[in-house]
Amino acid sequence: MHLKYESQLREPLVSGNKNYHQVTEDIIRPIEAKPSKLWYVGFFTAVALLMFGVYSVYREVTYGIGQWNLNKTIGWGWDITNFVWWVGIGHAGTLISAVLLLFRQGWRTGVNRAAEAMTIFAVMCAGQFPIFHMGRVWMAFFVMPYPNSRGPLWVNFNSPLLWDVFAISTYFTVSLLFWYSGLLPDFASVRDRAKTKLRQKLYGTAAFGWSGSAKHWQRHESLSLVLAGLSTPLVLSVHTIVSFDFATSVIPGWHTTIFPPYFVAGAIFSGFAMVQSLLLIVRKVFALEDYITLGHIEAMNKVIVLTGSVVGIAYLTELFMGWYSQNKYEGYTFWYSRAYLFSPYGWSYWGMMACNVISPQIFWFRKMRRNIYVTFFMSIIVNIGMWFERFVIIVTSLYRDYLPSSWSVYYSPTIYEIGFYLGTFGLFFTCFFLFAKYFPVIAVAEIKFVLKTTGENYKEKMGHLEHVPAEVFAHSGHGHTVVENHGSN
Amino acid sequence: MSKQHWQSFGELNNSDAYKQSVNDEFQEQLPFEADDKGFLEAKHPRRDFLKFLGFSTAAATIAASCEIPFTKAIPFANKPEDIVPGNYMYYATTYVQDGDAVSVLAKVRDGRPIKIEGNDLSPITKGGTSARVQASVLDLYDTARLRFPTIDGNEATFEDVDKAVAAGIAGLGSAPIVILTSTVVSPSTKEVIAQFIAKHPGAKHVVYDAVSYSGILLANEATYGKKAIPTYRFDNAKVIVSLAADFLGTWLSPIEFAKQYATGKKIDEKNPEMSKHIHFESVASLTGSNADERFLHRPSETGAIAVALLAAVNGQAVTGIDDAKLKAGIEKAAKELVAKKGQALVVSGSNDKNVQIIINAINEALQAGGKTIDWSATYNTKAGIDSDFAKLVDDMNAGSVGGLLIFGANPAYTWFDSKKFVDGLKKVKLTVSFSGKADETTQLVKFVIPSNHYLESWGDAEIKTGYYSLQQPTIYPLFKTRQWQDSLLSWSGATGSYLDFLKQYWSAKVGGASGWDKALQEGVINPSTIAAAAASFNSSSVAGATSAIASYKKAAPNSTELYLYQKVAIGAGEGTANPWLQEMPDPVTKATWDNYLIVSPAKAKTLLNIDLTNNGQADAYEVKPPKHVVSITANGVTVKLPTLIIPGTHPDTVGIALGYGRAKELGKSVFDEEAGISVGANAFPFASLADGTVSFSIASVDLKDTGDKFPVALTQTHNIYNTAQGNRTEVMKELTLAEFKAKPTEILEDREAEVKPYGGLENYRALGTIYPDSMNDRPGIKWGMSVDLNTCNGCGACVVACTAENNVAIVGKPEVLRGHEMQWLRIDRYYSGSDLDNPKVVFQPLMCQHCDNAPCENVCPVAATNHSSEGLNQMTYNRCIGTRYCANNCPYKVRRFNWADYTGADSFPDNQKGIVNDVVLNMNDDLTRMVLNPDVTVRSRGVIEKCSFCVQRLQSAKLSAKKESRPLEDSDIKVACQQACPTNAIIFGNANDKKSNITTIRKDNPNRLFLSLEQLHVLPNVTYLAKVRNIEEEKKEA
Repeated sequence: MHLKYESQLREPLVSGNKNYHQVTEDIIRPIEAKPSKLWYVGFFTAVALLMFGVYSVYREVTYGIGQWNLNKTIGWGWDITNFVWWVGIGHAGTLISAVLLLFRQGWRTGVNRAAEAMTIFAVMCAGQFPIFHMGRVWMAFFVMPYPNSRGPLWVNFNSPLLWDVFAISTYFTVSLLFWYSGLLPDFASVRDRAKTKLRQKLYGTAAFGWSGSAKHWQRHESLSLVLAGLSTPLVLSVHTIVSFDFATSVIPGWHTTIFPPYFVAGAIFSGFAMVQSLLLIVRKVFALEDYITLGHIEAMNKVIVLTGSVVGIAYLTELFMGWYSQNKYEGYTFWYSRAYLFSPYGWSYWGMMACNVISPQIFWFRKMRRNIYVTFFMSIIVNIGMWFERFVIIVTSLYRDYLPSSWSVYYSPTIYEIGFYLGTFGLFFTCFFLFAKYFPVIAVAEIKFVLKTTGENYKEKMGHLEHVPAEVFAHSGHGHTVVENHGSN
Repeated sequence: MSKQHWQSFGELNNSDAYKQSVNDEFQEQLPFEADDKGFLEAKHPRRDFLKFLGFSTAAATIAASCEIPFTKAIPFANKPEDIVPGNYMYYATTYVQDGDAVSVLAKVRDGRPIKIEGNDLSPITKGGTSARVQASVLDLYDTARLRFPTIDGNEATFEDVDKAVAAGIAGLGSAPIVILTSTVVSPSTKEVIAQFIAKHPGAKHVVYDAVSYSGILLANEATYGKKAIPTYRFDNAKVIVSLAADFLGTWLSPIEFAKQYATGKKIDEKNPEMSKHIHFESVASLTGSNADERFLHRPSETGAIAVALLAAVNGQAVTGIDDAKLKAGIEKAAKELVAKKGQALVVSGSNDKNVQIIINAINEALQAGGKTIDWSATYNTKAGIDSDFAKLVDDMNAGSVGGLLIFGANPAYTWFDSKKFVDGLKKVKLTVSFSGKADETTQLVKFVIPSNHYLESWGDAEIKTGYYSLQQPTIYPLFKTRQWQDSLLSWSGATGSYLDFLKQYWSAKVGGASGWDKALQEGVINPSTIAAAAASFNSSSVAGATSAIASYKKAAPNSTELYLYQKVAIGAGEGTANPWLQEMPDPVTKATWDNYLIVSPAKAKTLLNIDLTNNGQADAYEVKPPKHVVSITANGVTVKLPTLIIPGTHPDTVGIALGYGRAKELGKSVFDEEAGISVGANAFPFASLADGTVSFSIASVDLKDTGDKFPVALTQTHNIYNTAQGNRTEVMKELTLAEFKAKPTEILEDREAEVKPYGGLENYRALGTIYPDSMNDRPGIKWGMSVDLNTCNGCGACVVACTAENNVAIVGKPEVLRGHEMQWLRIDRYYSGSDLDNPKVVFQPLMCQHCDNAPCENVCPVAATNHSSEGLNQMTYNRCIGTRYCANNCPYKVRRFNWADYTGADSFPDNQKGIVNDVVLNMNDDLTRMVLNPDVTVRSRGVIEKCSFCVQRLQSAKLSAKKESRPLEDSDIKVACQQACPTNAIIFGNANDKKSNITTIRKDNPNRLFLSLEQLHVLPNVTYLAKVRNIEEEKKEA
């Protein structure tokens, strides 16, 4: 178990002198209470958006991709931009849940549940785009390599788009399992507190008969580590493969070896921004400030400024290579189509630069990192910037590629293209609102793990030991007692 | 009815037990109860329920599998001996449109003509066709064709009409009947007309051509004593000077001229020589774009230029030309012409008799007669004299015309003073139109007897003196139509039909029935070789013409002139109603579905405040389809049109194409139902009658930017391959003849440099990749294509041929605007050189390059596009799921996606109303669909398509070679674009065959051969031969 002493210098991860019961109460009470008016407003807004999305997709499936403004030169536009954007967002969840678990980062417990939920919903949203961008979506099953009577006719394993199929489906499966296995003890808690038959039955079923026995805990811990081990490479591989869609092509602006690390950094960047946006709302609405503390927010802002700078370097490297390679096609894409502000899409490149590279530098200042309003604002800015990034990569590369004769007219989306995007927001928030209402938004069991090592009450109890000189402490047996006590909890 | 047989006593007595047993299983009945009760109330609800369940499950399965229900083809009850279903047959016939006549072969499958090819036996066109000829088959299936004769708009039978017309003629008294036609090329029809005239004293025949050649005809009458147009021999000319004659596009006999012109542009690498073409024009034309050198002038200067050129050719000083550039151009042209006396030709597109007299004098001075101008055969295709028609209009207004029978002419639209014609028409008692469609004139007449389409007609044509071409029907008339000759014959009191008349007419000439059959089979009757002849020149009119030209008013220096021109596809309006022609990008402007005002970049700066040298403004102009609408006022006529900036246009001249602004009765393609306006605007009213001939240039117009914008559907928006980041010479290679002579290997060295990092040209194929070469040393066939950019003139015949052959969908203007056009073959047009106002132009036909290392193939997740063992990049439509990844990854951007259900072949049938344009829906009409080629799959919504190298033709060629147990030969295969090309710029064949043309042309032209974007190592199977311009000044442009 958590044999650990944490310095007083570190901020407590759970503030407000909580005991185990209080933790359970704080987090699970919203599930049992009637949702607030605000929840209803949010939920139905999300459902309305989802319905518009469904209608937009209906239009596109029934009448053709011509419902969008793509053309002979620009085969992908908002559709794949949104796909990459949503997939990227998912990455923070996996990073928080898996990588930080392996690195034993205690602060992840406050945010991992919601972040993982975000991952799953984001991947669900992302998946809509490659499916419904197909001209004949009813033939989508052709991408599955299954024995068939067509020859047999197999899929094309050379195609990065096929790698996407595997990457995304694996990612979704593993993330879902990870998330759900973490939910089991908490579902059991809800079940045990249930005052209505229905709730008991539903959460009981969902908890898979969790009894909290030592054996259960032992298996749970092992499974978490195994899944974390599985997820960790996914953090790198999924977006790497997504980047291959572009990197393996011949189009100037796409054909770039820098894409895998650049995409992964960008994914984590946007993912953390999205986690920030969501959690800042959740902690406010559900009064969870004690669990999602300023410390959490600051830690995530540090990740944002780091990854933002990484993508910034990637952008500059691309520009440099556009010049250094002396390839006129690359040069045109990077120095005219993108970096020249007055070219047709110059605005999107500079929008991206401003949002992703310049503005996050504000987080070098501690004061800014710990300012909730700045953080919220920046999280939105970063997500806009990351959307621009994908748009820049896809559209500004395609619209003016090799043959000047094929250069495209100005592409801007139709209402149904926008509608599809809004629809995925609807899907995302519908799921997220349901999650926030019916699922423990913070991992109750995991918070309890860290409560006694990094909670405010623990720190207070330990406070006097700080004054004991080390020599004395080592021989007094004090430390021993404390640690043992804690361990038995 | 009593039962006669029974199986049991129970049945006999109809006992209860028997009744029960009836309900038992295995009592077979029809699946569904025939009563109108719901199935639960039916007698056998359980079983019916199961039946319904079974049926609906099956139905749902079928529906869900998205199979399109197909209609069965019913075999012949009595099969004609020589018709095999699924096999096609070719019939020789003649395309006749107004005066233009082209010998063609109609490809007929299962009784339907589906494709037009050129007739190789014709010495005039030598198998070449034009876009308009290619598209003419679609007119046969035009839903807007008139389907029956009418009297005052009411349906009538032929008998009724004949009777009523006969009565009408009888009631005319002494008022004469006039037969008004466009030029009649048919000798037998002329005979029919003569018979009619003989029968009706006072009757006469007036020939009216919308765009006439009166100027030339009258000039030739004055100088040669012959009101005829001689044969021009561009192939004999080493120097060609054209004064705005668009002889490759629209002037006189473009297919023939293109073929001749190409012979002078073909280069033998060992001894590189070319003809030289200097062009003077006001508004960029196809021919001007092909010229080696082009000089721009105001239309009002045409006469002065002709006079100056004559002076210069005669060794005198050039006077009266203010523009220094132009003056230098004339001097240069004269120098070149004189240097090649006897091998020089000057032509002019002017309709001014005086200008043409001067041109004749120049040609005479150059000793062109009998060499580049051949008087042994004259054209019968253009005979209209404008003043004849003007007089007819006057007569009509004076009430002195009793009856007017109209065929082929449409003056209510094409006559500049159409109001006067219409007023006159009202005073004519008996009006008859034989038009196949309800054109502007036909709508105004009493009797309409629609004539057959040429593919339904018998006939003949004498295109040039002694050069005959026969016409035979390829399908029974689709509607109640009748050839107009039949009407004339019956009104002249003849008993037989026109067919009898024609047979009789020809049998005598070709040696009886067997001779007739043979002639019909070959389609052409050619004269035995005739020596080229000169005509004696009478110079008496030259001085008069010179002084007449000198008296022409000079344009005020700051005035803007208007020049009306014809588009290659649309002509004077012949192509407006044809969706294939409307959607064919204009070779010069790359615009579809509209006419517009053409202005020069310099004019755009002052008029529209658009500076094309400013990157941002140029971008904004290019990427946004809505263009400035300008109102053009002249001669009291005002027209509002969107503006396109086309370099190669004189700064003080603007241009408008004729042929637009048609009546909506002509079909869906001429009228935008949604906006409620005609497509484009009619520019004919700007024309005027000057000195007895119609002039299409207007000395002064007022232009005003209205501030409005109107979208123009362009298929190519950017036209320069040079960028600030480097000149994209990998895309396109061009050089001057001087450079080529000085250093023949320049292009080869260019290519070598491009691929140097990957092992150089020698090893590029192997070293340019880390993968093994799957296409290396494949035995058997390897298809390849070569396109000679020197002989390609960009005319667009191949584009329409491809559309026709491969069932390429028409998408209509709104879709072209969005970059959704479907054409598999496009002609890229690039400007080069430093002079923005008058750049060099090069055309590059671009189809799928069938790359051996195709970037589209490896990215398809479902392997819907892959490589054949014969080097074809294949597309499997029913495997395609439409991710468009292949289209993105195609560096040539030749892949086309079905954005909507353009073809009516969708799994969700009939849901495209309001989604696609009416034109597209109309293309899916049962009638229009008859034009579809059954050998080519009609693609449904959501799949990618692209050039297949006409794989259906390849398969069929291979099959016929196999059946005859012989190796495949070049003559077996002609892909559609290759076959249509009037200049033989496209060569196709088996590159593994050492004897094939494709191998030869590649071997013979190592120094001009290049692959577009070779440095990408996609290994295309289409090779290009670089464009060489006959410009002596080496490197002056760079």
